[in-house]
Amino acid sequence: MLTTLMSLGRRLIEIRRFVVLSMFFRHVRVLPLLGAALSDGSRGMRFRVRSTVGSMVAAVMAVGFVSFMPTGFAQQPESAASGPPPAKVALTGGRIIPVVGPEIATGTIVVEHGRITAVGPTDEVKIPYDAMEVDVSGKVVMPGMIDPQSWRGLDVSNENLPVAPFLDVYDAIDPSRLYFEDALRDGVLAIHVIQADNCVIGGLSRVVKPIGLTPDEMTIAAQNGIKMSITPKRGFDRMRQLTTLRETFAELDWYLEQLAEQKYEESLEEKEKKIDVGPAEARERGKDLIKDEDYDDKHANLMRLRRGDFGAWIFCGAAMDVQPGITLATDEGFLDNAVFILGAEAHKAVTQLKAAGRPVLLPGNLYYRERDQLTGELKEVFIPSEIHDAGLMFALQPNPGGSLAEAYLNYQAAMCVRNGIPRQTALEAITINPATMMGVGDELGSIEPGKIANLVVMSGDPFDFESWVELCYIDGILAYDRARDYRLEKQLELEATRAEQAKAEEDATKGKPDDDDGDDSAEEGDEATSEGASAEGSSEEGDGDGDGDGSGESGDTGGGDQ
Amino acid sequence: MSEIKRLTQIPVLVAAIGLGSACVAGSAFGSSGGDDVLVLKVGKILTMNADDDVINNGTIVVRGTTIAEIGKWGEVDVPAGADVIEMTDCWLVPGLVEAHNHTGGSMSDLHDYVYLTNPGLRTLDTVAPQTPDVEWAQSGGVTSALLIPGSGTNMSGFGTVVKFAGKSADEAVLKFPASIKIAQAGNPEGYWWGVGRMFMNYNLRATLEQAREYNAAWEQYESGQSETKPLFNPMWDDFRGLYRREFVASVHTQIYQVVMTTVDMLADKLAIRTVLDHSTFDGWKTARLVTEQGDILTMNGPRQFHFDRTQRKIHGNAARWWQSGIRRLGVNTDAPVIPQHELSYQGAMACWYGWTPYEALRGITRVSSEALMVDDRIGSIEVGKDADVCIWSGDPIDPRSTCWIMVINGDVVRDARDELRRF
Repeated sequence: MLTTLMSLGRRLIEIRRFVVLSMFFRHVRVLPLLGAALSDGSRGMRFRVRSTVGSMVAAVMAVGFVSFMPTGFAQQPESAASGPPPAKVALTGGRIIPVVGPEIATGTIVVEHGRITAVGPTDEVKIPYDAMEVDVSGKVVMPGMIDPQSWRGLDVSNENLPVAPFLDVYDAIDPSRLYFEDALRDGVLAIHVIQADNCVIGGLSRVVKPIGLTPDEMTIAAQNGIKMSITPKRGFDRMRQLTTLRETFAELDWYLEQLAEQKYEESLEEKEKKIDVGPAEARERGKDLIKDEDYDDKHANLMRLRRGDFGAWIFCGAAMDVQPGITLATDEGFLDNAVFILGAEAHKAVTQLKAAGRPVLLPGNLYYRERDQLTGELKEVFIPSEIHDAGLMFALQPNPGGSLAEAYLNYQAAMCVRNGIPRQTALEAITINPATMMGVGDELGSIEPGKIANLVVMSGDPFDFESWVELCYIDGILAYDRARDYRLEKQLELEATRAEQAKAEEDATKGKPDDDDGDDSAEEGDEATSEGASAEGSSEEGDGDGDGDGSGESGDTGGGDQ
Repeated sequence: MSEIKRLTQIPVLVAAIGLGSACVAGSAFGSSGGDDVLVLKVGKILTMNADDDVINNGTIVVRGTTIAEIGKWGEVDVPAGADVIEMTDCWLVPGLVEAHNHTGGSMSDLHDYVYLTNPGLRTLDTVAPQTPDVEWAQSGGVTSALLIPGSGTNMSGFGTVVKFAGKSADEAVLKFPASIKIAQAGNPEGYWWGVGRMFMNYNLRATLEQAREYNAAWEQYESGQSETKPLFNPMWDDFRGLYRREFVASVHTQIYQVVMTTVDMLADKLAIRTVLDHSTFDGWKTARLVTEQGDILTMNGPRQFHFDRTQRKIHGNAARWWQSGIRRLGVNTDAPVIPQHELSYQGAMACWYGWTPYEALRGITRVSSEALMVDDRIGSIEVGKDADVCIWSGDPIDPRSTCWIMVINGDVVRDARDELRRF
């Protein structure tokens, strides 16, 4: 043991590949459509896909990666040849899916200083003389996908305070989380970091890109929304939950009245007058005297919510939560900025949602299944179809607690197409729709001149599950290159080794006399193992803050130090 | 020559000669307080001054409590009647300075869990020169330490720099307030179940901003910009020195995200002079931010290595900080988590994991005294500075070395040559 430690220690001294963190924007990293490599996405292959969940976790744990990069950051050693990233880039020859506007069979995208400046058929777009050309012939370019809500970049998904609108996820975003690296690898180039649903009113959210050393460097848009939940927080029931919500806003009204009265009195003092009116009149006169800096932390963001400065992301876990959510938003004046986040059963309130006409964020598990207690009959609803049929704008989110495939946004969208939703709608649900819902629809979500150059280059159609994310551009800078994704490379090596081993074992079994029986039982055995692995994978992902990235170990840090 | 054998040798002078020790005692040692003169003649002086001067075969003359003269043998006049300690194969180094110590009072005095931030508390109330911890510190060549409260809350009180000498608290205290202890995460969670970094950072920032506003109001009044005399508040008044940058925030901070927040919130946005205590796990990955900020000191440890599960690699924390360009770097013991006398072992461990011995020694002398902003008094051997020095059998970072003699304020406070107990 000691010898091992000693040799490790010495090796550390020798390692020369010390990565200069400040360089990391120039370099690139990567991602796994791990499942994609191994599956054709068909149901028959589902088990095999699932089994990779466990092995992916194992691979992350077991493989030695390049030293020195914070987890979640890229790991390319600095090369002598690398200069600052080019200010102008032209991606040429690829099939372009702009999302807004028709697809371009062979097109060119010009990026200047982080923004898209031109897009069109290759023979129509003039490339500036000083733009660096990247040939993406045979590949598909689409806008960066958007994760419409995630708390996996935070240390805990929710604070224990029921009403905490004065908080900001800024204080808890951990850029070193593997989650962000994975997002990049998956082509998710914008993430709405927001608290989870175990709250009454949560803190302010933030739209970030998955690269950067600090939340400031990652930020695309700050203070974008506020989470509130109609479904009871843990320990609350529905009546208490809704009472707390109403109370919060009633208290805000009371506070505003007091503040107005105080401001009016202050204005009188300055003019050396005496109070000349009753409280009601004083409050009326004082209203306009209130300035933004007069609000205390507790109330400032609630005021801004009412004023429409940012969106209300309202979680409705059940159908019965939808109408109270709409009523609250209407009463308090923020319905026009509301996004409804639906739980599995909440789609049943589609009539009310349609009446409200607000965008909805669908649950990660797109199927709702209910068994009739008497007959045992299983009823299955594909939720996006219900919402689409009602004509509502919707966004999809990954389902990291489900199958491996469901963790990918493009898979979620592909499932919509499979269930009859138009391809264009499905594309919008992972790009422009979430951007619009977050209030950054004019910046992100499509390939149009003027927008931020967040681009994903895929090896094939995004809805073909054999397609890989090849390159990602963030702000026009190459942020990910699969060819340089060291972690992915190691994972795939591991997968390949395992596949070889499995094949060798299978061959060995075939050599035995009771040939046929052996084969069958081996197959069944495989399946059982796969199920086990997937359950394990789910629990790993399901706790919301367990990235297993080695940096979120505040538990470990706990006891020892005083 | 085994340790046990050495322990059994009595009397010590005989022992020293009998064992062939090179450390030969000269004339009698003893208290040399007041204006008495003490002369230390040694084989090597590591001054730890700004030029990193090393004086081989050197002598220092201590008058009263401070160092009066430093030079090579023969170049320094030895005053008649001076007490002389001559250990010509031994090393003279500054007393070690511990930047993170919790041995004030008893362990029940470590935390006050009344609030999540406790700006009203001070370790000055827990200075205890009589505890065995003082002897432990002395046995390891540690002459001074910053006493701070624990990390059970986000802000746990003001720290005090003490010397491990003196019979009363007043005699022992070197600086107060010497720091405000802040723990940004990684323990305060246990104070109030369910509290996360989002709330802790909000709450801590709110407390510090209140203190900053108090200071700003007084500064406006004192400079004549405002005629309204602010209400005096003894609790916030202690923070004025913090915002004048007269003392530091010692911050319990570790893992990437938390160290990042320390740099951003405390050092950058609140412009507080910040010391990263612990700074362990993958905290070193923030090196670029720390370097850019430019005014932060790092007192690493006591965990000297980190096993990165995603990389399957063991990283030496201090080595990584150093390799990432962090120069104002030291280590700490978090005593009594690691016993105070093992401060030099923490340095040794940092070297085992890839750091270098001289830098490690500088990190627990000059750099740590800079971290506590007491480097005008201690941390190096220079004329005019406090005579807080130790005679070691060799390099203190070598775990085989012994601290034989400790001098604090010009007094020999411990002479291990006539002691049986080793720690």
